[in-house]
Amino acid sequence: MDKLTKLITDIDKLWGAYSTAYFTGIRNTLILAVAATLAGCLIGLLCGVLNTIPCSKQDHPAKRFFLKLLRALIRIYVEVFRGTPMVLQAVFIFYGLPYFTDGAVAFKGMSGIWTASLLVVSINTGAYMAESVRGGIISIDPGQTEGAKAIGMTHVQTMVNVIMPQALRNIIPQIGNNFIINVKDTSVMFVIGFVELFATHRNIVGVNLLYFPSAVIEMVAYLTLTLLASFGLRWLERRLDGDDNYELVSEDSLAMSAGTYSHPNRSPFEEQSREYNKNSLDDEARERIRQELKYGTPKGDR
Amino acid sequence: MENNNIFEIRHLSKAFGSHQVLRDIDFSVEKGDVISIIGASGSGKSTLLRCINLLETPSSGEILFHGQNMAGKGVNAPAYRAKVGMVFQSFNLFNNMTVLENCMVGQIKVMKKDRETARLHALEYLEKVGMSPYINARPRQISGGQKQRVAIARALAMDPEVLLFDEPTSALDPEMVGEVLGVMRSLAREGMTMLVVTHEMAFARDVSSRVVYMNQGVICEQGSPAQVFGNPQQPETREFLARFIDN
Repeated sequence: MDKLTKLITDIDKLWGAYSTAYFTGIRNTLILAVAATLAGCLIGLLCGVLNTIPCSKQDHPAKRFFLKLLRALIRIYVEVFRGTPMVLQAVFIFYGLPYFTDGAVAFKGMSGIWTASLLVVSINTGAYMAESVRGGIISIDPGQTEGAKAIGMTHVQTMVNVIMPQALRNIIPQIGNNFIINVKDTSVMFVIGFVELFATHRNIVGVNLLYFPSAVIEMVAYLTLTLLASFGLRWLERRLDGDDNYELVSEDSLAMSAGTYSHPNRSPFEEQSREYNKNSLDDEARERIRQELKYGTPKGDR
Repeated sequence: MENNNIFEIRHLSKAFGSHQVLRDIDFSVEKGDVISIIGASGSGKSTLLRCINLLETPSSGEILFHGQNMAGKGVNAPAYRAKVGMVFQSFNLFNNMTVLENCMVGQIKVMKKDRETARLHALEYLEKVGMSPYINARPRQISGGQKQRVAIARALAMDPEVLLFDEPTSALDPEMVGEVLGVMRSLAREGMTMLVVTHEMAFARDVSSRVVYMNQGVICEQGSPAQVFGNPQQPETREFLARFIDN
């Protein structure tokens, strides 16, 4: 019990002194995770579409060679970036580019660190997403592609209008996965000096050595972020699935107006409106329409 | 080449690996023809139709569409497919769109029509197939027969010169077959050029102008419905028809 009280006081002390720093960390983590996940999705989509361009023996040899080359390059990209730790990729790119270009291309200052972090996390997410998108595309019934081809759509039109919307819906859980992984894994960007939630923790405990209380704050913060993300994505999925109901559209315009017409009949003011309605033709028309609704339209009447 | 032929198919062959599905198919389609292609399962009927629409690449032979060979290299297949409508056994409606959008997307994206024109044109054909009350429904919400009628409207909305039907009623419950065949009958009456792969012998007999009987990848016999059904010349045709009547 003593320990718990101590923990609460410590957390209180930390929060009082560093809440702005923690919030900056949360903000940076969120921005990086959201931006990199979106960029990664775009990279993944592009790879997925390029990867599934049909290639038949009838095609021109140059086109076939180019497509093969493209697929090989995408494959290499996916395997390399999925197969190495992101923390190393960060070091590789952040220090590698200046090393090879004698500092001509370098990530200088705060903006340099942001650029490098975004680049690394995006490329890394893209490698995972490329495979998810590919899976999403091949999970769509080939009949959808045939239906689109049969009305004259090109590969790109088929992808954009028919396959991608369906594939995207199917890979939203994957996108969510990647986003949540990114929220947590952006922490490795501390190696190149990016100050996000975890780096904030390192900085703070470096001063006051309150390792555990700070870690508790971190845990709660990360869990809150990821839970919010989960709920948000579920909501998005439900929205994309749309309503299960649909409205029947009345096929002839008169029947529709007749529907609205009959409405006053059911109102408590019916007697009154009849009384004021001296135009007997209106009543007649109303009666006729009511009969039509009940027994159908006499043939040749219109 | 001055004639009414929309299609002229010459020496068309198709092999999947070492399996020869179509051998040396020759036939032509004139404007207004309603041709029923009948035959046992695996006789190559569907493959023939899919070759005509270039969903399968023919191994050899020519598909002349208004005298132009579509089975060669460097053919603009999408532009050609836009003029040749196809209705599939499994409907293949776009699941991410409503009934109305299904019938509009081709007009907008392929024919570059504006939305309103496309909408009116789509509504016209949806009305024709009796599906206009369901324009806001999604494919998963309607029955098989309704899906197939929408698929027909989608193909018609592209104003094709010819419609290919690949066993359009085979995936339907018996009570839904009638509504689809009804739509096809009325299309035939209006002079639509149609190629129909079917197991519906009554439809083939009553509606088509020509019946083609296929057996093991070749056209075994063809002629008017009266000839093929009334007085089949080939023993295979007789056997096939007898089997069908027995069933």
